[in-house]
Amino acid sequence: MADELIMDSKALIFATLADVYLSSGMIDEAISILQDGLTRNPNYTLAKVILGRAYYLKGNIDEALKILQENYESAKGSETLNLYLGHCYKKKGEYEKAIGYYEAVLKINPENREAKESLEVLKPTQPVQKPASEAIVEQPPAKPQPEMVAIPKTDVEPTAPTELLPELGLEPMPARAVEVPAPLEALNEPMGRLLEIKSVKGAFILSRDGLLIQNYYAARTDLEEICALIAGIFNEADEAFKFLKCGALERCIIEKKEETICVITAGESLLCIITKPEAKPGLVFLYAKKIIEEIRKVLG
Amino acid sequence: MMLSELTRIPRVFGAGIATFDGFIVDSQFIHGYDAERFGAMAAKIMTQVKKNLGAESGAVILYTQDIVFLAKAKPEGVLFVVGDKEANLGLIKIKFEKM
Repeated sequence: MADELIMDSKALIFATLADVYLSSGMIDEAISILQDGLTRNPNYTLAKVILGRAYYLKGNIDEALKILQENYESAKGSETLNLYLGHCYKKKGEYEKAIGYYEAVLKINPENREAKESLEVLKPTQPVQKPASEAIVEQPPAKPQPEMVAIPKTDVEPTAPTELLPELGLEPMPARAVEVPAPLEALNEPMGRLLEIKSVKGAFILSRDGLLIQNYYAARTDLEEICALIAGIFNEADEAFKFLKCGALERCIIEKKEETICVITAGESLLCIITKPEAKPGLVFLYAKKIIEEIRKVLG
Repeated sequence: MMLSELTRIPRVFGAGIATFDGFIVDSQFIHGYDAERFGAMAAKIMTQVKKNLGAESGAVILYTQDIVFLAKAKPEGVLFVVGDKEANLGLIKIKFEKM
């Protein structure tokens, strides 16, 4: 197929090839082909939808959202377009919008499994409205929770099918089965509860030598740097306390003007929770306790 | 006067003010606790926080297996308090923030 593309570079087959590449996990190659093809065929909406999907799979949600939204009017009947708009908004935490798009997918194709599963996860979380004060007394639903940004990331969505090929009149290739490594999956539930606290901005797990283990703070792009800096402060304070024979450091709260950083030891790792300055530390620690137990079980 | 408000709190071992290079300006500690060591440590940690996280007037609360340690950067230096792990941290924090 790549040869055909070289022979007739104006052919619209580039979208199909890109779709095949995406299904094989070759996301960068797919993006490159699509960008190249779209310079010659700028009005090819289907290719733009695939490009949006490719950016989503790459983890560039903002770019994916931009492309998909730009083409929404011209392809609003597309199952894929609605599905990936739903995925994008879900990742961004805009669950109501995500639900709207997933419902649109099911109107187009009531059998769409991805949309059904996503709706099942998102819909029960909707009635959980946090009160103005952040005191959470009732336990939120046990199973459903907002999707986390997990590291290590998978290159390809586990269930990314080649939905676009039938639209082009081609046989879809079987999607490559990709195993999702999720060693810290057990943390999703307690972490979801913690992140539901209004004043909690995000959280992440790091090793004592400053390396990021798991990220639940999607909005922050400089986390690796922050991990190193926090571990530096923590280790130095720990050593100083040991020198003073005051025991090992267990918890550390750093209060800054714009945010509060809570670092808690969890076995060999550190759990770091970033909150707004007005957060109630007692509540944060209460929720953190359960997470720490899970971290200890998994990471030791 | 100012430090005694902190040291009057039950299970507080002592409080002090140190310069950013770790020298004690004033301190009140019960016997057996070395104000100079804690002052030096407070200065070290606050300098590190300032350098790493850019927090000019930040505060730090550290819990160890035995004690709880609070430090706050002020323009004049670092204010710090050391208490037992079982001390009422909420009360210490209120007094601490007023200073």
